Amino acid sequence: MPREFVVRRPLPEFGLWDKMSAGRAVFSFDLEATARCNLDCRHCYINLPAGDRAARKSELTIDEIGRVGGEAAALGAVWCLITGGEPLLRKDFFDVYRALLGKGLLISLFTNATLVTDEHVRFFRKFPPRDIEVTVYGVTRETYERVTRTRGSFDAFQRGLDRLLASGVTIRLKAMALRSNKHEIAAIGEFCRARTRDYYRFDPQLHLRFDRDEARNAAIRAERLSDREVARLERADPHRFGALKAACGDLLPAEASTPAGAPDCRHIFRCGVGQRSFVVGPEGLLRPCLSLHHPEFLYDLRKGGLADAWKRFLPQVLARTSDRPEYLEKCGKCPLVNLCLWCPAHAYLETGELDSPVSSFCRIAEARAEGLKSH
Amino acid sequence: MSMKIDLGRVYGPSEDVVVREIEGEIVIVPLVSGIGDLEDELFTLNETGRAIWSRIDGRRPLAAVVRELAGEYNAPDGIIQEDVVGLLQELLDRRMIVDRG
Repeated sequence: MPREFVVRRPLPEFGLWDKMSAGRAVFSFDLEATARCNLDCRHCYINLPAGDRAARKSELTIDEIGRVGGEAAALGAVWCLITGGEPLLRKDFFDVYRALLGKGLLISLFTNATLVTDEHVRFFRKFPPRDIEVTVYGVTRETYERVTRTRGSFDAFQRGLDRLLASGVTIRLKAMALRSNKHEIAAIGEFCRARTRDYYRFDPQLHLRFDRDEARNAAIRAERLSDREVARLERADPHRFGALKAACGDLLPAEASTPAGAPDCRHIFRCGVGQRSFVVGPEGLLRPCLSLHHPEFLYDLRKGGLADAWKRFLPQVLARTSDRPEYLEKCGKCPLVNLCLWCPAHAYLETGELDSPVSSFCRIAEARAEGLKSH
Repeated sequence: MSMKIDLGRVYGPSEDVVVREIEGEIVIVPLVSGIGDLEDELFTLNETGRAIWSRIDGRRPLAAVVRELAGEYNAPDGIIQEDVVGLLQELLDRRMIVDRG
């Protein structure tokens, strides 16, 4: 008999992946612990004021979070991402974290780092998360606070990030690319790469508000970079451009404007959503992915169980098809689908319809294709 | 110096780990630092390990576990004992089980 009884394996080599990949199975889920945030970023799709009492009162309790975590673990979930809003804003953050960790879930955390104290560092050292991701909005006070619209936030971010970096916990840094910090994106990239041991990524896609607040949506639109600017930023980042090319370069047709063999498909969900993961909002509403807020795709975990949501509800709603000729003719056959931001969730945020093409997305996909073809 | 496994004592899972069964595999998830590199590794048990682990309930002495396994697998006590002590020593060294008295 072998003498090594306890088998220690790197996560990617774990045998259970093979078994789970054979069919639809829960790998992970995101928990938006709160929609509240201490910052007020121009581009944010979710944030509510830190002191919003109604929002705070409606958030899942520790018991409810523990129940969801337990049900997710029973379905096979391995990871849980705690995100927000700003999760550290919750006074019971440690309890939230322990409730999920205690179910045997590996924990990742998204935070803006501005609220990180020495107590958090001691906690993370004792109960290490798999990783913590921090968004860097700027590397100067002027730019950072132009994005966050919160005085003093840059100093708080620097203090918090320094604490996290010194803690020994795996920290990953990322950025959002928007009009207010575009001039600093290269410097943000350098800042992040100098401080993290593996990847850095930036995201030029600014989602519209989940609450469909028109005034804030107008501010988000004003922060969006043009299709040319997005493509140029991506080309200027060798890591990102290389990844894009590796993933999508071979899929490009000879002429980007010529449809070439994309499947003629009436199903609108073609991205694998709801096959491996789900998202739980602050009030316990499960949805298939972060961006999908259409009311027909929400399941209230305060009224029903996760197993019912996963096994019955999600397959049922995600089988949605479209008869809209505009969708079937454009997105349904588009050869640039892999370069496009289009999905039903984003279409709904942009147009109020799940199956409407979004012309600004078409332009970004075409600019990306052009960039890939010219390299 | 590490503690040695004693057949007369009772052992149970440590509160510093959560043991889960995922897709038929026993997965040991460390909750606290110092047990494993949480980013890159998880722990599981081989077939022998799984058979033994299912009986490590923190209620009966290890000798009783050995006798039960020997009866179930129709194997000499000595061979079973070697495996049980081997596994538990490994788990104890990794802080995945504790001595419950």
